[in-house]
Amino acid sequence: MSANGEAARVPIRISMDDPEPMYRQIEAQLKDFILSGQLPAGTRLPSVRGLAKELACSVITTRRAYQDLENEGFLRTRQGMGTVVAEIGEEAMKLHRREPVVIALREAAEAGRRAGYSGTELQRMFERVLEERSAGVRAAE
Amino acid sequence: MYEQRSERNVISLKNLVKSYEGFTLGPLDLEVEPGYVVAIVGPNGSGKSTLFRMMIGLSQPDSGEIEIFGDRYPEGEVEIKRRIGYVPDISTGHDEMTAADLGSFVSHWYPKWNEELYANLLRRFEINAKKRFDKLSKGMQRRLTFTLAVARNPDLLLLDEPTDSVDPFARRIMLEEISTFLEAGERTVLFATHVMDEVRRVADYVAFLDGGHFLGFYEKDALLEQWKTLWVYQVPENGIPGLVSVENGTPTRIVTNSPEAAMTALEEQSIEVVRSGPLDLEEILAHLMRGTPEDKETVGRT
Repeated sequence: MSANGEAARVPIRISMDDPEPMYRQIEAQLKDFILSGQLPAGTRLPSVRGLAKELACSVITTRRAYQDLENEGFLRTRQGMGTVVAEIGEEAMKLHRREPVVIALREAAEAGRRAGYSGTELQRMFERVLEERSAGVRAAE
Repeated sequence: MYEQRSERNVISLKNLVKSYEGFTLGPLDLEVEPGYVVAIVGPNGSGKSTLFRMMIGLSQPDSGEIEIFGDRYPEGEVEIKRRIGYVPDISTGHDEMTAADLGSFVSHWYPKWNEELYANLLRRFEINAKKRFDKLSKGMQRRLTFTLAVARNPDLLLLDEPTDSVDPFARRIMLEEISTFLEAGERTVLFATHVMDEVRRVADYVAFLDGGHFLGFYEKDALLEQWKTLWVYQVPENGIPGLVSVENGTPTRIVTNSPEAAMTALEEQSIEVVRSGPLDLEEILAHLMRGTPEDKETVGRT
């Protein structure tokens, strides 16, 4: 009876301790899944009611999240077809992937400035973090 | 605006009043659009069952209007009832009939009756179809009444405490069936309960009924997002926005229904918020019942 038999199960989690509204949490996580390629273009998502049931939130929230992502070009809804992941161009994909990284770096730069570090000091710090990280990755392997 | 919207509303109540035994229900106004689950929450004796009985035409209001699917009682009675699945607060009236008898009896009156769904649900709920209704336990009677309502394949489910006396397993099935029911199109559910966990899990909107009056009609998620607990070690002297209660201690617990503004105000007063978290619906309801008028203004949908 349900038209959503083959819809993907999406491991989204919402936390009530998170000050972000629920629909934003859903948006952010779906975006991550799409940008990382875990939800490739054409993947059918659960219906707004199905997702609401899974997350114990209201359809108002899930609909808002889907609508926002549709407006941003991540999702596409067709009459009778449900909601699917949209085809995202290579350029747009690159841009979206870059965005959160730039934001995180900006925040790091701001935190460094507040703590009184110079640009050179911050650069050195960043290099050290990178070294530590690649050493850590090697150790893990 | 009212006149325009009523076209699309599944339920539209205007100035509904009913008095009985020294109690007055109303005046009540309520508009419900299709596709949503509305939980009617309120203590015993708040008038929930009377409201449901009026919506299904079993009780006449003293004054005011009821429109269901744009139709009214008494002219629209047959049409309205065909599109409603109703679970009354007490299941009675067919003691000598078995589930099998009831199925064929009810199916006769409802053109959209779904026999397959009926059989499926009897199985899922483990209802003995050969046992007389009055020989079933209270919980089994509730399961059967619910099954009879859903199998009518209605556009609107009116459920008056459907999970009352139902064990947790069957309760879970009921909540699942409510979701399944909603997935199959633009259908609507109104259910009365005082089990907040059910509200949290299936409701889109919450209407609090207390002493015969609605305390407000809220979007459930917005309600949960707008009421927060903040823990601080220093009590704000200048006050903060949306302050509902302060419980002094180490740390002090603050309840606010305007969390963002409250956080900003605390930051301005250099007070660190050690933790913040949600409020459960029980506590939100308790605050609403105690009621400061501005709470309703800021949180409520008009």
